[in-house]
Amino acid sequence: MAMKRQRDDHALAKLMQAAQGGDTQAYVLLLKEITPRLRQIVRGQHRFLKIEDIEDLVQDILLSLHAVRATYDPRRPFMPWLMAITRHRLADAARRYTRRTAHELQAENLPVTFSDGGANMDTDGYRDPEALRHAIRDLPAGQRDAIELLKLREMSLKEAAAASGTSIGALKVSVHRAIATLRKTLIKES
Amino acid sequence: MDTEKLIERLAEVVEPVRPLPRPWIRTAAWLLVAIPYIALVVFVVSPRGDLISKASEWRYVVEQLAALATGITAATAAFAMVIPGYDRKFLFLPVLPLAIWLGSLGDGCVEDWIHFGPDGLSLQPDWFCFPAIVLVGAVPAIAMAVMLRRGAPLTPHITCALGGLAAAGLGNFGLRLFHSQDVSVMVLVWQVGTVFILTAMAAWAGQYLLNWRSIIGTNRRSALIR
Repeated sequence: MAMKRQRDDHALAKLMQAAQGGDTQAYVLLLKEITPRLRQIVRGQHRFLKIEDIEDLVQDILLSLHAVRATYDPRRPFMPWLMAITRHRLADAARRYTRRTAHELQAENLPVTFSDGGANMDTDGYRDPEALRHAIRDLPAGQRDAIELLKLREMSLKEAAAASGTSIGALKVSVHRAIATLRKTLIKES
Repeated sequence: MDTEKLIERLAEVVEPVRPLPRPWIRTAAWLLVAIPYIALVVFVVSPRGDLISKASEWRYVVEQLAALATGITAATAAFAMVIPGYDRKFLFLPVLPLAIWLGSLGDGCVEDWIHFGPDGLSLQPDWFCFPAIVLVGAVPAIAMAVMLRRGAPLTPHITCALGGLAAAGLGNFGLRLFHSQDVSVMVLVWQVGTVFILTAMAAWAGQYLLNWRSIIGTNRRSALIR
């Protein structure tokens, strides 16, 4: 087992030495060889992380290795060198994670149900579709078309502009004015 | 970005690099810059008049050799700290010469107290020490910073503290070649105090001088742009 590990380390050291000399093929081989091992180490130490976060950490370690590849001494074993970089990068990641979570607010019961006052916003207060229909009908033609295409038929701005033959800018202005008019009319009626 | 793609991009930008020499070889290279500069400063400021007679006083010689050895061992330790996989025991290299340096000064304080009583331990202001040590240690400190940045920023604060101790230790060695202040308590408080303050400042600066963010950022950009 120890012999195999030594042979393995020797092969990696040779690849690293070639990579330090600028050998692209050797560098690709080396990085592809160590990536699954790094992935396994990261997964082993941070079981709670999502796959994409593990991949981010692996990439971080690969970039670190690339940045400090001149610090590898070809007369010394490769794996302790790689493991030292990995250990420090994982410790940095853990520190970053701790800093980030320190500013997060954990809440068990968010007001998400209709019975909870905090979940009921003012916009939900008006519920008279008939009055809304009348108010839309009474809008000026341009504003009415804008509301119909963008809000009722749920077209995109581009589609609505093509359908109405007006510009996107004009549609934006019309819909903005229409909503302001509707708000005023409906508040007055209620 | 996909990891496979990142590997290909890194391989595309890989260029030949010269492996960093071993820490003691780098220390020798650093001394090749630091010692001539210190000699130049001592020559320009003019060496103390009693330097030749001082060279035969064992206490002065021990203190100077200990200060020099502290600087050299701290530099070796700093250079070892930026190489991944190096034994962390290197961190303790400067402990022995530093202990000899402080011990010798402490012994001097006790002797002064025995001979002169409380007057032997009286302190006078000696503000010259701080700027003088900064002046003598400036070029060694800059050379140290440049050389450390070629390594891996594994322990920025400790590495920079060692680098600062190395430069300030050499700075103090140079200072005592032209500054006639040999009262142990004065040397201990003003000169060694300055060395420790500069070491602490270097440790604080470590986070800015040595960090992964700056070196990886450059590589990430070059890998993503291509």
